[in-house]
Amino acid sequence: MNRKNIFSKAFTASLPVLMGYSAMGMAAGILLAGKIPRPDIALWGFLSSMSSISGALQFAMVDWISSRTAFIDVALLTLFLNIRYAMYGLSLLEKFKGINFWKKCYFIWSLTDETFALEAESKFPDKKENIRYCFYVALLDHAYWVCGVTVGAIAGKHLPFSSRGIDFAMTALFLVVLTDQCRVRANIIPAVIGVASAITARIFFPVNNMLIPAMIMMTAAFLIFRKGLEKRLKEGAES
Amino acid sequence: MSETTTIVLIILVTAAVTIALRAFPFLLFSSGKKCPPVISYIGKVLSPAAIAMLAVYCLVSVYRDQSFAAGHYGIPEAAASITVIALHCWKGNPLLSIICGTALYMFLIQSIFS
Repeated sequence: MNRKNIFSKAFTASLPVLMGYSAMGMAAGILLAGKIPRPDIALWGFLSSMSSISGALQFAMVDWISSRTAFIDVALLTLFLNIRYAMYGLSLLEKFKGINFWKKCYFIWSLTDETFALEAESKFPDKKENIRYCFYVALLDHAYWVCGVTVGAIAGKHLPFSSRGIDFAMTALFLVVLTDQCRVRANIIPAVIGVASAITARIFFPVNNMLIPAMIMMTAAFLIFRKGLEKRLKEGAES
Repeated sequence: MSETTTIVLIILVTAAVTIALRAFPFLLFSSGKKCPPVISYIGKVLSPAAIAMLAVYCLVSVYRDQSFAAGHYGIPEAAASITVIALHCWKGNPLLSIICGTALYMFLIQSIFS
């Protein structure tokens, strides 16, 4: 498959992220421009979205800047908000083994929830094609986010926003990836554990703080049920 | 400290922590060092579980932002989610499922459930 075909596949797969990121990015940009009214705010929107590419962080950052939160608190809050990224890399280690150093650096830098979902799902038979596809996905998603935030910060409060509900595209993306993954039988129980952990976490924590407890719970469940789940993984690989 | 310095430092701190977290498994388990079996096991089962968790998370976030205050009992979210999953089981075309589900959701909350 040539580059052009791979790119068009990557672009098609990333369209839902385009909708989600441009809508959410713009919202974050508008918030930024509204709370920190300075003429050069679009530049800071651009730089901050470029460097961390992180949705919840982009929103939280606005508060941290306007209330001049202490840097140690900023570091700790970022750590807790984004600790899940450390887990994503684990399931991509195998896929990104032995690739070019700079490319690997870029994959690390650009690893968001949505990019992870698309990269984890990619299944070209050829490793090189797979990596190329993942690279295009990462680059496109990164561009969507930066453009969304920057446009939002430029448009500021003057944007007539009528795309209410477009943020559902992000939910739909995860549901689609989940449906695909559940076609592999060994994935079903881990997915159920994921849903159960998330719901349990939501019962005890507010939406903004639910991901870390959910991650802890599912990891604990995986360690407790390791024997059975590993057996299923092996059976799945053989059949 | 000027506001510009604050902004620059906050951008640097958040980016440094975020990138360090993303790099963590690659730094620890790549060159030569073999990844312990328990870690590679966790990596395998975590992928579907994390996506399931994020689906739930997005769903409750959308519900909170769009539906909660209006008191729709999550009907638009449930209808759109079922549409996405059913359409995807039937046709298996990701873009089709996502666009139809999102369009339905936007229609529902902007008209019937507004």
